[in-house]
Amino acid sequence: MTLYMVQRCLFDHLRRLEAAGDGPKPEIVTEGYTLTPEEKRAVTEPDIGAIYAMGAHPVIINGFCRALGYKRADYRPLLEQSGAVPPRRKTRWQKS
Amino acid sequence: MAEIVMAYSAAHAPMMTADPGSAPREQADSFFGALEKVRDLAREKDVQAIVMMTGEHFTNFFLDGLPQIAIGLDDEHLGPPEVWLQVPKKMVPSNPGLAAHITARLIEQGQQPALSYGMKIDHGFMTVYYWLDNSMELPMVPIVLNCTTPPLMTMKQFYDFGVALGDAIRSYDGLERVALVAGGGLSHFVGEPRVGDIDEEFDHWFLDRLASGDLSEILDMPNDELAEAGNGTGEGRAWVALAAAMGGAPGQVLSYQPVYEWINGMGVVLY
Repeated sequence: MTLYMVQRCLFDHLRRLEAAGDGPKPEIVTEGYTLTPEEKRAVTEPDIGAIYAMGAHPVIINGFCRALGYKRADYRPLLEQSGAVPPRRKTRWQKS
Repeated sequence: MAEIVMAYSAAHAPMMTADPGSAPREQADSFFGALEKVRDLAREKDVQAIVMMTGEHFTNFFLDGLPQIAIGLDDEHLGPPEVWLQVPKKMVPSNPGLAAHITARLIEQGQQPALSYGMKIDHGFMTVYYWLDNSMELPMVPIVLNCTTPPLMTMKQFYDFGVALGDAIRSYDGLERVALVAGGGLSHFVGEPRVGDIDEEFDHWFLDRLASGDLSEILDMPNDELAEAGNGTGEGRAWVALAAAMGGAPGQVLSYQPVYEWINGMGVVLY
């Protein structure tokens, strides 16, 4: 249940940023969302690796990182070091 | 009855309009040259309307209500919402008669598309559509597909959807010349640890099969294996649906370029 709340919180924040346009950027709002202390910390700090490790949708993570002004070179290592990277598996198109 | 006079699939990386000059010149020339070729063909064929499929990016739906397939049924649809896309915002005309007919025929054939009024058409549509008609007057019936949020429809299910979609378009008697377009793919990783990677091996493998017309290995592929090529790569579902709508005919690969500056395998396949 709370993973949805984390994602809802981030998604709503992105929509508020979009609505703000070139005006002042609103801070992320956590009131009204059922978040654990760790989830609240992760979204406000923010801790991208922790948000990824919780299982947040990558499209939301992408949008959140872009809103923070991160380039992919900034946030790729945060995801890689999250401790939640799934192992790669062999696929039918791999030649080696 | 309507005829699908042409169909093509094309990648829709936002950077292709937001910052086209960031790609190496030869790669950009190849990709945009392919889009110019399909644009010229659409003019030659005098296309009256297009039906376009692309992945949903949480532009219209979120996790509280996410359909696997949704069809825009309005007279016109606003796009793009992304102010940075370098595509003018506009109410793009649709063909509501065609949209309603497609929806009804799909349901008659056992498909279960969601109905959507007020659908917004984001970069998934507008990047490719803008290259097709930069006046943005060509009517477009938009269809969004869930390509990134599990549990997902399989490639086989999207093939079956495509067969039904082709039938639905061809059974419409209000138009004569329709184009079918798929936007999305090829390989790319969004918000994942491999963000920035392009799985060129997958792209070549996938395109080779579309070019041969033998999709059996693609249709046999489980979703978790497809995800190894990138979560954005799942937009290839639209390409498979389009190939199915064209009867599984061999596609003509007009361009393939792994554009790392756009973090996307960029390709165009024409039928």
